[in-house]
Amino acid sequence: MDNETALFLLALGPVSAVGVYWAIYRHYRNTDKSHAFERETAVKVLSLHGSENDRKVDEVRGTRRTRIDGDNVGHHRQRVSPMPGADRLAG
Amino acid sequence: MAHDAPNGPPRPTGPGSPQDMPPAPGQPPLDPQDADKLPEPIRDELLAPAPGAIDTESRELRDGLNPCPKCGSTEVRHRAGSDRLVCLYCRHEWAATRVEEAFGLGDGIAELRGTQVASGARDIDPDALDLRSYRCAGCGAEVVINTASSMTARCHWCRHVLGVNEQIDNGAVPDAVLPFRIRKEDAVARIRQFVGSRRLFALKAFKDEFTPENVVGVYLPYMVVDARGSADTAGLGEVLTRRYTRGEGKNKQTFYDADVWRVQRHVDFTVDDLTLESSVARGNLDIRRNTHNVINTILPFDTKNAVTWNASYLVGYTSERRDRDVEHLMPRLREQMLSIARAQVQPSVARYDRGVRWEQERLDLEGTRWVAMYLPVWLYAYHQPGPDGGLRHYIAVNGRSGETMGSVPVQTWKLLLAALGIGTMVEALVLWIIARVA
Repeated sequence: MDNETALFLLALGPVSAVGVYWAIYRHYRNTDKSHAFERETAVKVLSLHGSENDRKVDEVRGTRRTRIDGDNVGHHRQRVSPMPGADRLAG
Repeated sequence: MAHDAPNGPPRPTGPGSPQDMPPAPGQPPLDPQDADKLPEPIRDELLAPAPGAIDTESRELRDGLNPCPKCGSTEVRHRAGSDRLVCLYCRHEWAATRVEEAFGLGDGIAELRGTQVASGARDIDPDALDLRSYRCAGCGAEVVINTASSMTARCHWCRHVLGVNEQIDNGAVPDAVLPFRIRKEDAVARIRQFVGSRRLFALKAFKDEFTPENVVGVYLPYMVVDARGSADTAGLGEVLTRRYTRGEGKNKQTFYDADVWRVQRHVDFTVDDLTLESSVARGNLDIRRNTHNVINTILPFDTKNAVTWNASYLVGYTSERRDRDVEHLMPRLREQMLSIARAQVQPSVARYDRGVRWEQERLDLEGTRWVAMYLPVWLYAYHQPGPDGGLRHYIAVNGRSGETMGSVPVQTWKLLLAALGIGTMVEALVLWIIARVA
């Protein structure tokens, strides 16, 4: 057994202690819960387009990342920079 | 003010008539409150509802009496477990009209333009008083109702029940109410079950004082919003082109090649009955300071079944007053609309199997329609003492669907002990394995 594997195994104890604390605390306090309005609200899409303009701009070779850096496709509530051009408000 | 000849022609009343002139020196100006004295076109304009407003007021109930349509008694209650009202005198039952049908609130979302605000959702007058005085239509006595805490009162002379039915400008009367359908005993059972599966590490004082029978039925204030919007998002997506490994044995590593694409999407969409908390306190979902997130979690409600306002639905329940206007809630609406847009475009970028990094986004809110509603929640509260005033833990039951969510205070030392115990056992097992291998 090399040093790297031994260290990994030794870390399992503290990691499992923290994991148990976190899981039970969350089960009791439910601090991570909120209304899933993205899924639970009636939404009707009138039109969705833009895929026809997708274009290849670069290539990545030999990366060890399994996902794109900064992947936020599933993080719907994470806000990003505003697009140039002022937002319009219903007035 | 013009002085007419005693037998002259009738005074002109239209715009440009002498009445439109400033009053002569020494004469009192026209009072806009005194609508009868105003020229007709001006009076009509003053009394007309604001542009874009939806008038939802129950004028037939404005005298404060909610009589039984059959016998006229004001002993009217909400019939538990249903959306109906029942007369305690003649047992006649009836249901108020659903606002969706009465005011066409479910229609034309795709055609919405601008901001339409129902009359019960209009801006709150900060100077409006909570104490309101009503003249009992039964005997003429003056009855005072504190609208901060109650929406009904009994006339102490003739025993008639009066309800606050006019849409006063302190936010106490919404456009619609969704009656409780879950009965108290059902809510108690759900809370008991919820806590039952969380007893082992619960705070001892919480377990000792646990009395789910103390649950309170509360009508909480919400804004229910229909909206039409369009959103743009732009970013980069990656498509896997090659996956390969290098090295041998323990040094084997996996590498990926990918094409990078510039991705942009535009989505037009409508949202039906998005529900937002319309009180400052309940809308604050900071989990370090409160547990309001559990009340937020029991959304949504079947708001399509909300009925026109009738204070009789609130008899036997408590209510909280709205203290946020449309303007205050607009940023939250925009944020949720953007999140919804991002969720809607996700399936269209599924081909980017290494994910998408959205970098820019924009929302155009083309039209919104705001309706104020009271929604039914069973609330059980426990105050945990601590620094900064402690923390109030809620267990909330959706008064329509029965969905239950809550926060149970934790006995920290007990949980720490359990976590350390399990960590120690795992560590002992690991040491044993390492010793065996070595």
